[in-house]
Amino acid sequence: MMNELMKRSNQFCDGVSRRQALRIGASGFLAGLTLPKLFQMEATASTGQAPKAKSCIFLYLQGGPSTIDMWDMKPDAPAEIRGPYKPIRTNVVGTMVGEHCHRSAKIADKYTILRSHSHNDNGHTTGSHYVLTGNRPNFADGANSRIPVNELYPSLGSIVSRELGTRGSVPPYINMPHPLTAGGPGFYGAEHAPFVIESDPVQPDFEVKDLQTDERLSELRFKRRQRVLKGLEKDSVQSGRANTMATYYDKARDLITSPEARKAFDLKSEPEKLRTAYGHTSLGQCSLLSRRLVEAGCRFVGVDHGSWDTHFSCFPSLEKDLIPHADMAFSTLVSDLQDRGLLESTLVVMMGEMGRTPRINDKAGRDHWSQAQSVLLAGGGIKPGIVVGATDKTASFPTTEPFGVADVLRTIFHLMGIDSDKVYRTPLGRPVPIVSGGKVIKELLV
Amino acid sequence: MLLYQVVIRSCPEYFLPEQRDAMLSVLFHENTIKSGAISKFAPAFLLVLLFSSGMVHADIKISPEKVLLDGPESTQQILISRIDKKTGNQTDISNLAKYAITDPKIIRIDSFGLIEPLSEGETLITVSHEGEQSRINVKVVGLKNPKPVSFEQQIIPLLTKASCNSGGCHGKNEGQNGFKLSVFGFDPFADYQSLVMEGRGRRVFAASPENSLLVAKASARIPHGGGRKITEGSLPYKRLLRWITEGMNYKSENTSTVVALEVQPSQFILEPNGSQQLRVTAINSEGTRFCVTAEAEFESNAPNIAGVDRRGGIQAGDNPGEAAILVRYMGEVNVCRITIPRKGAPFTRPNENNFIDTHVWNKLSMLGIPPSDLSNDSTFMRRVYLDTIGTLPTAAEARKFLENTATDKRTKLIDQLLERPEYADFWAMQWSDLLRVDRDAITAQGAIGMTRWLRRQFAENRPYDEMVKDIILAQGSTAAESPAAFYKALGTPEIISRSVSQLFLGVRIECAQCHHHPSEKWGQDDYFALAGFFTGVAKKSLPTGSESIVGKVGNDLKNPRTNTLVPTKALGEKEVSSLVVTDRRELLAKWMMNESNPFFAKSITNRIWSHYFGKGLVEPIDDFRTTNPASNEPLLEELALHLRKNKYNLKALTKTILNSRTYQLGIGTPLNINDEQNFSHSINRAMPAEVLLDAITQVTGIPEKFNGWPEGVRAIQVWDNRMPSYFLKLFGRPVRASVCECERSNEPSIAQALHLMNAPEIVAKIHARKGTARQLAESKLTAPEIIAELYLAVLCRFPTDKETEVLQELFKEAGADRRTAVEDALWALLNTKEFVYIH
Repeated sequence: MMNELMKRSNQFCDGVSRRQALRIGASGFLAGLTLPKLFQMEATASTGQAPKAKSCIFLYLQGGPSTIDMWDMKPDAPAEIRGPYKPIRTNVVGTMVGEHCHRSAKIADKYTILRSHSHNDNGHTTGSHYVLTGNRPNFADGANSRIPVNELYPSLGSIVSRELGTRGSVPPYINMPHPLTAGGPGFYGAEHAPFVIESDPVQPDFEVKDLQTDERLSELRFKRRQRVLKGLEKDSVQSGRANTMATYYDKARDLITSPEARKAFDLKSEPEKLRTAYGHTSLGQCSLLSRRLVEAGCRFVGVDHGSWDTHFSCFPSLEKDLIPHADMAFSTLVSDLQDRGLLESTLVVMMGEMGRTPRINDKAGRDHWSQAQSVLLAGGGIKPGIVVGATDKTASFPTTEPFGVADVLRTIFHLMGIDSDKVYRTPLGRPVPIVSGGKVIKELLV
Repeated sequence: MLLYQVVIRSCPEYFLPEQRDAMLSVLFHENTIKSGAISKFAPAFLLVLLFSSGMVHADIKISPEKVLLDGPESTQQILISRIDKKTGNQTDISNLAKYAITDPKIIRIDSFGLIEPLSEGETLITVSHEGEQSRINVKVVGLKNPKPVSFEQQIIPLLTKASCNSGGCHGKNEGQNGFKLSVFGFDPFADYQSLVMEGRGRRVFAASPENSLLVAKASARIPHGGGRKITEGSLPYKRLLRWITEGMNYKSENTSTVVALEVQPSQFILEPNGSQQLRVTAINSEGTRFCVTAEAEFESNAPNIAGVDRRGGIQAGDNPGEAAILVRYMGEVNVCRITIPRKGAPFTRPNENNFIDTHVWNKLSMLGIPPSDLSNDSTFMRRVYLDTIGTLPTAAEARKFLENTATDKRTKLIDQLLERPEYADFWAMQWSDLLRVDRDAITAQGAIGMTRWLRRQFAENRPYDEMVKDIILAQGSTAAESPAAFYKALGTPEIISRSVSQLFLGVRIECAQCHHHPSEKWGQDDYFALAGFFTGVAKKSLPTGSESIVGKVGNDLKNPRTNTLVPTKALGEKEVSSLVVTDRRELLAKWMMNESNPFFAKSITNRIWSHYFGKGLVEPIDDFRTTNPASNEPLLEELALHLRKNKYNLKALTKTILNSRTYQLGIGTPLNINDEQNFSHSINRAMPAEVLLDAITQVTGIPEKFNGWPEGVRAIQVWDNRMPSYFLKLFGRPVRASVCECERSNEPSIAQALHLMNAPEIVAKIHARKGTARQLAESKLTAPEIIAELYLAVLCRFPTDKETEVLQELFKEAGADRRTAVEDALWALLNTKEFVYIH
């Protein structure tokens, strides 16, 4: 056994696998391997127990949500900080949220507010890069106009796609209604790029690109084509990439033809009442579609919801549009998932790349503030109905242990059963772990 | 040895007392006795007694001939080989031989042949294997008054071997749990500080060395996130303790540095599933040699062919092939190459078209891998069209070629293709990717200027060295028809130099910006020395609003870690003696184009090769290293020489490659399909996004509409990398953010399949009123003729009878509606995997 350990020429930090660790522990061969150490390995091992979250819906409030007006109210702060909104009670005693989050207030026992999320990248593209990949970008904010901006490092959705693959007829990683700013596959390559539904489900003419069979084609004709194609390729043997492509063809055909997949995208089949509850908004209908995609087996849905960059006269748009839209979408999504028995296996995360400045500026807006942002998490093994962490009296900095980007990513991956210490090599040969540093936020776990 | 003793001692009655004594004295002779020595000394009749007939057919060879261990933690790997007397074949038996030590107080040896000292003195090791034996003398010194441990020279390699300073552990940028080391130990002084001085000095404790945090953590005596890295009582453990006990010296009086590594054996043939022990010897600046097998790191470039363990033991797998084992110690690297031939495979040497085939067959015959047969005409034609001009042959072209019976038609076709205008379009597009012709970075004028310039280079078949020289020395307006905008896209001297290095020399020196290259000799100084050539490059604003690149005098750069100036010099060269020139780049260009430059010609040769074969001789194609050898070194050498002799004529090189039988081989056979290194068969390659789009356009007969471009323009002609196109994005058009060819993605995805199958744009092309399908349907051709025509247009071949039969069903079903049938047939062909790939 000793040999088995020493034989590995490349040892990473997590060089001892859990299985090895257990065998070592059982035989007591390595005296230095103490019990706490073994427990630590247990805790970090990815294969330890069946992961709770099979899928993740990631509502990305791009631009930076004003969480001081939503989830982390400071009623005792001066007016230029606390803003015009009043805190209201939730159904969890002691937890207060902003008055425009009254729908979420009624189900506060179903999700958790992480108030001490904090990092120090105050830019949009750079912050998005950091939050979604866990790595700092090598460009200045605004200096990269590509979407996605992450050229090297994979986004969390691509990581989930690579590690878990699909479990149904829809692609494992989907973005809507636009690609996430930093949602690209980085060096993982196109295979793990998001399947982007570049069409907004709130629009009446919503359709998924390339999914609808052309109206010029009858169903009969479509089937005939498929049959002929099959007949032509029956005897040909594919190798390498062509073989992978052949597999993707099958999946693509499933997407087009399988009733499940078609159904997944068919929002119109949802009862009008539920659609209204989600809100006839981009975020609302995207959230609803996300639920349907998760039901069809999607692993990671990234919903890109913009316009949160409220530098000027922020309160009218916050109270009329942004907060109610987010409040409706999030609260309905969580309740809906629970009603269908899916909340246990679906992790919902709602956050942006940063929060906003506590002090209202002279243009009646709030500016970028990455030092403190409240993140909402629900389902998939998240302990519900609590508040984790706190910020100071102006919501400027966490007063409890700050949890950074790596901690949040590690927690998401942990819940999904992904080993954050797994290492892949970039084309230049540099080993890159799935997450560098950080630790699982234990307080959030059931 | 043991066998001798056992036989002699257990059967005393067979020997006369004097004979027995004489024999034992031979056995315990204190001098080194080479293999076979015993048989010379021992009486012949004893041998007959000891070894039953037929056993004596091999010699044992021990290397080195004698061993000197100097210092408490010094070790020596001995290599034992068995030499077959009949065949002369050598096999490594270091892990099979039995070792016996005359005086076990002096040394100990493990079952793999690694010797450790125990006390000062001299003794013998007797090595025996299958009845044969041999002995070796070992002397141990330097234990009573050992030389003090030097952190820089003895602790750093120990931390590296234990992977403490690896990129996933304490070597990463932010360190691990508050303890940070420099990755691979490139900055020993910083590591010394963080071990000895930081953390309030809690990491080392001279008064009680074994209670130092460093030792307790590394040996996992107290919980350590990385687990046990150094076993208690092992030599590294003892060295750590001794270093702390001695008061944690940074340097010893011996300041010589390691200047070279030697690995033995450095090249050998192994049978499938065979094993081989390596020995690594370091040579320092004084010329002293010492064994560092136990301290060096090993890494295989092809673990599926041959893996290597931490002790330097190589284990071959089932597959024939080649592997290179990288050996690294104290920033020096070396490589050991292994060939594993297929056992007993029959090899018939096919015809050779030119020297490429000679080298490839040589290699394949050595490995016992039979190459595939020549591809048929249609496969060859489709391949050579797509590879050379990024364009699918038309149905008419295909028919003409297939019906041509001339024996030299392939050569003729190659010559014709290289003269077509698409050749320049296609190659200019590929070089635009590499030279980062990004509209957003260099403006539209810049992108047009560079594209035009590139097109001209390929249209005129400009010698490659002259073309590169123009790029390196580019000056003037970045909006002109010139390569000047290349500098606009790159920026700082560091980025320029590492891009130039990767692009034109095939050397990835990027790693050395922050730390020593993990698998090459390049360090930070080499990085900044090379960047020094580009310090004179400046941008000047012109009154017209555009910019101009100017070459000024320039200066040397500082290594930011040591804060000292690094004299400008090229890779692996001496300092440039005189920098009194107006533009330093001239010196670099001169060095690059020099005949003796080890990188320049090979790098472009490999790039071109990789384009036509889907895999470089060196892979990744821009990663030339001692430790990453070419899969066929003589071939790369001769191709590069061929290119130089032809004055860097790229078309001439291309012709040689395309005319080789190797390029024209067919798909893999069961005997060679697993070969991924030696070009024994063709492989499927994805078409670049632009080529695929053009192919669909051509086959359907409906041009793609690009916003703002005239109708009929082809995707390979579009200079604007930002032109919105869902198709091009989906199929991996690169964003031109780096000079790496790897940026162009050719991995398939579900969305791609979905698009080809169901995109309204493609459906519209198939159904178009003026399209191919409609024209064929309205023609007088019969159904089989239409099917043949479609096959020629899409797949460049005639259909088989069975295929015709399958497609003819469409016509029968559709009844009078021929149009529907043709459209469906065209759709089906466009969706075969045969269409999407180059075979």
